[in-house]
Amino acid sequence: MVEALISDEAFIKGCAAIGAGLAVGLAGIGAGAGESGIGAAAVGAIAEDRGFLGLGLLFTVIPETIVIFGLVISFILMFAYG
Amino acid sequence: MLKPEKMVKISVVGPREQLEYASEILYKVNLLHIEDPKEAEYFRIGEPLEKASLISRSLVQLRSYISYLKIDPSRIVPKRKYKSKEIEEVLSKKLEEYQEQIGRKIEEKRSIDERIRGLEEELRVIVPLKVLGIPSRLLMGYKNLRCFVGFVKENPVGELSKITNLFDAVVKEYDKELLVAIFVKAEYGDDFFRTLQAFGYRELHVPDVDDYDARIREIVREKEELLNRKKQLEKEIEEIKVKEAELLLTIEEYLSTELDKSELPLKALFSKYTFVIVGYVPAKQLDKFKNEVERNGKIVVEVIEDEEDNPPTKLSNPAVVRDYELLTTTYATPKYKEIDPTPIMAIFFTIFFGMMLGDMGYGLLILVLALYLKTIFKTEGWQKLLNIALYCGISSIIFGFIYGEFFGPFIIPGMKKPSEIHFLGDILAALYSFNHHHPLFDRVEEFGVKALLFIVLVIGMFKMLWGFALGFYNVYVEHGMKEAVYEKGCWFIGVLGLVMLILGFSYNLGIFTSPPEEGFGRLLPENLYVLGSYTVEDGRAVPLPIPGLVDGWQAGVNIFYLLALPLLIIWFVIFLKAEIPKMGIFGIIMAVELLTWFGQIISYARLLAIGLSSVYIAFVINYLSVKIGTPPGMALLPVAIILLLIGHAGNLLLGILDPGLQSLRLHYVEFFTKFFEGGGKEYSPFGRVKKFLED
Repeated sequence: MVEALISDEAFIKGCAAIGAGLAVGLAGIGAGAGESGIGAAAVGAIAEDRGFLGLGLLFTVIPETIVIFGLVISFILMFAYG
Repeated sequence: MLKPEKMVKISVVGPREQLEYASEILYKVNLLHIEDPKEAEYFRIGEPLEKASLISRSLVQLRSYISYLKIDPSRIVPKRKYKSKEIEEVLSKKLEEYQEQIGRKIEEKRSIDERIRGLEEELRVIVPLKVLGIPSRLLMGYKNLRCFVGFVKENPVGELSKITNLFDAVVKEYDKELLVAIFVKAEYGDDFFRTLQAFGYRELHVPDVDDYDARIREIVREKEELLNRKKQLEKEIEEIKVKEAELLLTIEEYLSTELDKSELPLKALFSKYTFVIVGYVPAKQLDKFKNEVERNGKIVVEVIEDEEDNPPTKLSNPAVVRDYELLTTTYATPKYKEIDPTPIMAIFFTIFFGMMLGDMGYGLLILVLALYLKTIFKTEGWQKLLNIALYCGISSIIFGFIYGEFFGPFIIPGMKKPSEIHFLGDILAALYSFNHHHPLFDRVEEFGVKALLFIVLVIGMFKMLWGFALGFYNVYVEHGMKEAVYEKGCWFIGVLGLVMLILGFSYNLGIFTSPPEEGFGRLLPENLYVLGSYTVEDGRAVPLPIPGLVDGWQAGVNIFYLLALPLLIIWFVIFLKAEIPKMGIFGIIMAVELLTWFGQIISYARLLAIGLSSVYIAFVINYLSVKIGTPPGMALLPVAIILLLIGHAGNLLLGILDPGLQSLRLHYVEFFTKFFEGGGKEYSPFGRVKKFLED
C-alpha cells in the first residue's frame, strides 16, 4: 500500500538526501572526536611555550578535512540524485 | 621578496682598550647580529665592563617601580625625545628622587598593609574572647592550673569528665563552632590536650588586654587611620605616575642601552691585547657599516668566507606584505636559505578569505572595525593583525560583489521574489539590473556550487604542485639535485599524475565540453578520446575507465588519462629508488602517501563549504526577519530588527573566525608542509630601536 504511494524516483531521492545528511553529520562527529584530543594537548603545549601556537593550530585542524570529505560526498550525492 | 635578505659574515677586530668605543659605535649603527662566541686556545670570552653591575642594580630598581606603578610603555606616546646627555646629567639625581618619592612610599604602604594585617589578626582573637566574657588576666599566668582557650567542633565536656571531674569549663557558641575555656589541674593537662585534639581543638593565643571593648575600639580607630594614610599614599603615587611616567621610561631605556653596551664583552672573544666580535650584517649595508665602524682607524672590519655559516634570517618584504610576516612567523621563521612564503601567503590568504566570506556587508563591517581598532591598539603586532583584517575586508567586499551578497544573498533557488528573501532584496536586484538582476556568479544555485567546487579543486591542485616545486628548490639549494628529485620531484610528478586523473575524470563528466548546468561550455574539443570508437552520439563516456570493471571502458580513455599513466609510472619508479634503500622492501607501503595528497586537494573544497554555510545562515536570518517584520507575516518590526542585529552579529563573528582559521590552515597544512621547514634564527642586531631617546 505504502509502496504504491512512493514512486521509485522519490524513494531514491529521499535515500540520497538521508545519505548526504549522514555523510556530513557522521563525518562531523568523527572530526570533532579527533580534534578534541589534539586540541586539549595543543592548548597544554601552548601554555608551556607560546611559540607552539602555529604548530598547535595546525595539528588541531588536521582532522577537519574529514568533514570536508563528508561534505564533498554529500554534494556528489545531491548532484547525482537530488 | 621570496628570499630573506642576503647576509655577510664579518669580524670586527680591534685593540682591547677600544672595546668601549666599539660598543658605542656598534650600538649606534644597529646592524650587527652578533654570533655567540666559542672559546678557543688563545681567545676567551670577556667579562662585562665595570659599570655593568651598578647599571643593572639601578635598572632592576627602576623596573620594579615601573611594574609597581603599572606603567605600560606601549600605551605611552612620548611628547618629546630626550637626548642621552640630558638623561646622563639628571640620572643620579632622579634615581635618588625616585628612591625617595616612590621607593619610600611603596615601602610605607607595604608596612601599613602589614600593620593592618596584624590588627585584623588581633581582632580575630579578641572578638571571640569578648564573647567568652572572661578577662584575659584570668586566662593565663597560673602555676598549678592548665588553661585551654580555643575552638572545638563539638562539646568535649562529656569526654573530658571521663579523665577527671576536677575541671571547670565555659562553653559558648561562636560562628558555627564552639568556643571553650577549660581550667584543669596541671597534672591532667596532657591528657586533656590529647582529648581536645580529637575534637579539632584550635588554640587562641590570649593577648594581654584588660578591657576587650576598649581594645576593639582602639583597633578599629587605628585601622581607619592607617587606611586613610594608605589612600593618601596611593593618591600621591598616582600623581607621581602621571607626572613622571615618561621620564621613568626614558631612564629605563637609557639604562637598558647602557647595560647592553657594557655587556658586549660577553659576546666577544679576547686575546691578550685584542678583541674579536663575529657576526652578520645585511650585504646591502656592509659598506655603510664598514665606514662607520672603521672611522677612528683603530678597529678593522673583515668579511669572512665561511663554509659552515649559519646566518640569521631577516625577512625583506614590501610594506603591505610585511604585515603578513606575522602569520608566517607564527608557523616558523624561515631558514636563511629557504624561500620566504610570506608574499604568496599575502596574496592567497586574502583571496581565500574573501572567497569564503564573500559578502559586501560583512566585508564593510570588518573594514570599519579594523580601522576603528587600529586607533586603539597601537602595538606592532596588533597593527599588523588589523592591517591583515583590513585587506581581508576589502577582499570580502570584492567577492561579495561578484557573489551578489550583502548581509546574505538576494536570490535563492526555488524562491522567486528577492523581497521575500532579503530585507533589501529589491534594491539589490535593481543594483544588478546590468546583469539581468542576477549576481555575476551565483554560488548558491546548483551550477554555482558545481562550478565553484571545480574551481577550488583546481586552485588546490595548482597550489599543491606549486608547493612541491618550491620544496624542490629548497632541497636543491640545501642538499643538491639528487636529494631534491628523490624527496620532492618524485611527489611533484606523482601529484601531477593525480591532477591528470582528476582532469580526465572531469573531462568525461563533460565539464570542459558541455554548456552550463553541466559544464563550463566548450573549452576543449569533444573528441580527445584515444582508444575505442567514442563519438558524441554514444552519449557520455565511462568516467573512470578501469579495464575489466566496466564494459566498454576503452571509450572513456581520454588524453588526460593517457598522460597520467606515464607520470604515475615515473613517480613510482623514482619513489622506489628513493625509498627501498632507506626502508627496505616494505618501503613500498609508503606509496599510499599519494592518497594523502589526493585528500589534501579535496580539502580545498572548504573554500566552497565554509562560505556556503555562512550564506545559508545569513539567508535564514534574513528570511525569518522579513517574515516576522512585514505583512502578511506577524508585522513585528522591532522583533525583526533585533533578530537581524543579533543574527548578523553572530554570523559575522563566525564569518571572521572560520574563514580566517581555514585560510590559515590551507596554508599551514596543505601548502607549507610541502616546502617550508623553518627553524631559522631571527635577525636581531646589536642595538635597539629607541622610543624615548634620540641620538
